[in-house]
Amino acid sequence: MAINAVNPRDEKALLSLAEAGVGRDFRIERIEGPGCEQLRRLGFCESLSVRKLAGGRNLVCSVCGTRLAVSSELAEQVKVRPLAAA
Amino acid sequence: MEPVPDTVALAGNPNAGKTTLFNALCGTAEKVGNYGGVTVAVREGECMSPHGRRLRVVDLPGCYDLSGASPDQRLAAEVLSGRDPRQPTPDLVVCVVDASNLERHLQLVLEVLEFGLPVVVALNMIDLAERQGLRLDPVKLSEELGVPVVPIQANRGKGLVELKQAMRHPFPAPPQKRHWEKGEAESRRAFGLAAAALAARRPTAHSGNFSDRLDAVLLHPVLGWVCFVAIMFALFWSIFSFAAIPMGWIEGMQESLVALVEDRLGEGDLRDLLTQGVIGGVGAVVVFLPQILLLFLFIGLLESTGYMARAAFLMDGVMGRAGLSGKAFLPLLSSYACAIPGVLATRTIDSAKERLVTIFVAPWMSCSARLPVYLLLVPMLLGGSEGGAMQALVFLAVYAVGTLTAFVVARILRGRLGPDEVKSHFLLELPSYRLPQWSYILRHVLERGWSFLKKAGTFILAIMILLWAASTYPKLDSDDPAEVLGHSLVGRVSRIIEPVVAPLGFDGRTGTAILTSFAAREVFVGSMAQLFQVQESEDEEETRGRIRARLAAETRPDGRPLFGPAAVVSLLIFYIYALQCLPTSAVVARESGSWRWAAGQFVFMMVFAYLASLVVYQGARFLGLG
Repeated sequence: MAINAVNPRDEKALLSLAEAGVGRDFRIERIEGPGCEQLRRLGFCESLSVRKLAGGRNLVCSVCGTRLAVSSELAEQVKVRPLAAA
Repeated sequence: MEPVPDTVALAGNPNAGKTTLFNALCGTAEKVGNYGGVTVAVREGECMSPHGRRLRVVDLPGCYDLSGASPDQRLAAEVLSGRDPRQPTPDLVVCVVDASNLERHLQLVLEVLEFGLPVVVALNMIDLAERQGLRLDPVKLSEELGVPVVPIQANRGKGLVELKQAMRHPFPAPPQKRHWEKGEAESRRAFGLAAAALAARRPTAHSGNFSDRLDAVLLHPVLGWVCFVAIMFALFWSIFSFAAIPMGWIEGMQESLVALVEDRLGEGDLRDLLTQGVIGGVGAVVVFLPQILLLFLFIGLLESTGYMARAAFLMDGVMGRAGLSGKAFLPLLSSYACAIPGVLATRTIDSAKERLVTIFVAPWMSCSARLPVYLLLVPMLLGGSEGGAMQALVFLAVYAVGTLTAFVVARILRGRLGPDEVKSHFLLELPSYRLPQWSYILRHVLERGWSFLKKAGTFILAIMILLWAASTYPKLDSDDPAEVLGHSLVGRVSRIIEPVVAPLGFDGRTGTAILTSFAAREVFVGSMAQLFQVQESEDEEETRGRIRARLAAETRPDGRPLFGPAAVVSLLIFYIYALQCLPTSAVVARESGSWRWAAGQFVFMMVFAYLASLVVYQGARFLGLG
């Protein structure tokens, strides 16, 4: 369920939150997959920024100031783009 | 005639502070946690409006939206739409939102607005939001939503006067219904995000705060586990060691009371009833009050500070091996205090099948009612002495046996129930760490203590008096206490029970004590004291020692000791597994929505307890250990 159409060239720059690096900030580009509704209910939305705080079987990230623990299977369904370092 | 009070419903996301606001408004001490889903049912209270009108306040269960199928979401949606026959349609809805997390919390507010009821938004936890560097604009938010917005800090009572002003007559007009252009959920989400961006401007860079720094340690793959084990060890260790001091005071009071009665009354039935039945029987149970209070205090502290969610995060991998998720950790940990709050806390588990399995195994977490039984029996395995590292190890083993069996059964049962129709993944909010709300925790602990004392003063007292009467009458004119007991009603019942419990290594009197403890396990100790006619001593530890000495001296007709190691372990095993708690079965029936599930659990656990004891006792006898 993509809100913004993504340029196929940009598509390659997207990575899943599961594979994203710890301690970095990202922008949520797309949420797709069977756990989509569960993620949206807890505040994952396209265009929001997210910081990955810890990796592992369940990873920890911060969305809009809220820390959330997410299974890596769910995190696979969140496609993010790295934000330039401030 | 006083007018019918208006109904005010409190709605909001889990962990938005609804229950804290409910307590602040109504002056009650409902349980507050820093863990999503503490409110698992609709609670009601009353408060006064600024004009002196009574308001009925209804605290709805926290949920992220109203469209899902979970029991809490359905309950909240039914109350708001006036479809719940037990509740009138609310006259006003107070939406409690976490100011530091508006993007998410506004989604529910927008859904509530669509019910067409007057709404006031309580912008809670403004202190936390400001500490995170957010710049809040309640006026802007009010303009965007079309309803009054009041900033508050419910845990400090700040902003409550302003909130009550907004809750007075005439209530604000219901907001105009919005017409969403494209997909409703998507449009609502986009509107909420835009409104949140206007009303709460975030600092651009993510700044690591205190909670982040603490999480770096407490969720660390190695350090996190070290801290978790240390916290759990400290919890159980302090329950057993700190509690010894107040337990000594209670025992002292009990001894003085026995001495007083013996001074004032001459020998006879009344004196026996008071010293053995009432003071001895009830006292044997009341003495465990400090341990129960401490257990509830620590669980309250873990929830209130926000650590419980971290523990669930860490335990997810371990629970996964039992076919459960980290969300089953809180219900199971709570069950160590009492299975009833544990079963209620399973409502936070998303998967219906995982919830049923958790409910099924929760009573195998050794609850506080079993403590008195363990404290009587464990020293019997260790030569009768109380205290020491060996005893702590045996205690740990007793708790571990119940827990590990629960995990094995959960795994088997989870496999049998099959996968969920909609797969649910582990997704949990980790709330910011907060200082514990001492006043609420202490009030909650005191309430639990009071309810335990009430149970001891009514239910357990009644059983003790009945048991005393049944073991005294019909009377026999003899000086031999064994003959008197054999002639009494209890003696006759014991002879009927004996063939059933003999294969487990127990005699008829122990079987009768087990029977009396079916309504409440803690009755067992008092029953044993009465049935084995143990004389009270001035020192309570000596009394327990005397019960043990008396039990150890009892022999079977063939001369073997009645309570050899095999029989004691068999009795321990029986108490670990048997489901001897009617209130738990009633709550399981309600929560699982099926009496068959509760009855199945009861029968399964009783049969399991019987067979496990049988195998242990007969196995030990076969190996020549009994």
